[in-house]
Amino acid sequence: MRVTVLVLGAALLRALLLPAGDLLSTAFFAACLLGIAWVERGPTTEPRWGRGRALVTGLMVGAVLLAPVVTGQLSARTLSDFWTWAAIAAVIAALEETAIRGALYRRWSEEAGPVAAIVAGAVVFALIHLPRYGLGAMPLDAAVGLALGGLRAVTGRVMPCAIAHTIADWGAWFWA
Amino acid sequence: MTGARRGGLAALALGLIAAALLHGRGGPPVFDGIVVPPEPYRWESPPPNLRAGNKPPLSGEATFPVANGQVPGGGVQTGDSQVIIFFGPGTFKAPTGAQSTKCTINPDPNPPAAPSGVDIRGNVYHINCGAQPGGAVVTAVTTFHLTLRVPPGAFNEIQYNDGNGWRALTTLRAPGGDPFASVNAPGFGEYAATAPTGAPGESFLTVLGRYAPFYGILAFVILFGIIAIVQEIRRRQRARPPPTKKRR
Repeated sequence: MRVTVLVLGAALLRALLLPAGDLLSTAFFAACLLGIAWVERGPTTEPRWGRGRALVTGLMVGAVLLAPVVTGQLSARTLSDFWTWAAIAAVIAALEETAIRGALYRRWSEEAGPVAAIVAGAVVFALIHLPRYGLGAMPLDAAVGLALGGLRAVTGRVMPCAIAHTIADWGAWFWA
Repeated sequence: MTGARRGGLAALALGLIAAALLHGRGGPPVFDGIVVPPEPYRWESPPPNLRAGNKPPLSGEATFPVANGQVPGGGVQTGDSQVIIFFGPGTFKAPTGAQSTKCTINPDPNPPAAPSGVDIRGNVYHINCGAQPGGAVVTAVTTFHLTLRVPPGAFNEIQYNDGNGWRALTTLRAPGGDPFASVNAPGFGEYAATAPTGAPGESFLTVLGRYAPFYGILAFVILFGIIAIVQEIRRRQRARPPPTKKRR
């Protein structure tokens, strides 16, 4: 419960800081997620997939998340401008996954079981994006959160979730 | 397979199917709350240095029903969102017998010449509405809201040409360095972003203000990443058991 409140609190602070600019609010949010993941880190006893297998699975789930939109019109954004934005998106995605599918999942899984951990992660994932995208985006964010939570439970690792999340984000550059 | 993995597999499948069904047509969202920078400006006649890679600007159109000679409120935008118009009920008046009205926004490849002392910045757009069937003239009874994307560089105001020459309109710029400006458009005709001839481009501070958030975030995340890696290395070094001395 404590991790849930901390992650939601970080998202709330980010929303409150939004009028001060993306720089401050996103940097603060990133710092909070890093802090939560660091403070709540701990050993896990669940079985894990090997790195290679988990990596390939993460790539595949990312591709499936993008599949519904890749037939759409390509944006005019250039590839040369992509890399800086992509690096920021990848770091924030990895931090979100480390906090939600890492610390939050582990705590909920210990206290209430893996299914509760998946559902709690999906709800938190949808809630933290509420200030930026509004209520309309919540069902999609919850669905993606459910898929990423499932991926975490299947593989026993956070890394494939971060990879799938990052790939889904990167698609916005080319098709949004 | 363990119960956790069975549950995980079910959640993964359910989540992916739901996400596929819920994806909008507008393109994939970013799941991080990060702003995706706008696409490069689409030029009708690009400057020589931007010719490579330029994509032509897109048109926009929408058809609205007519009731008692009036068009209900609505909006039209170009496919690249470089021009957006909104109007309220009764803003446009259609002639008797009209069943619908079709509003179009088109980039003009041969616009009227700019007034002396003024440069046109970016594309000139022709906005018009025509009654259907027949294509009779639809008139704008009151002003409607027009938002125009402005290309990088100097910009002063939006000007309007109804066929009798250009005139400046009171222009509102979007805050936060967004490349958009809006006006209360008085009628159908040509609209363009303009700047005085020879006006300097953006100042260093304006450019800095545009890029500072982006590179600032990057600097922060790199800093956080370095801190995390250093801390992890230290933790592993502390956790490693000290080497045992061998007896000889």
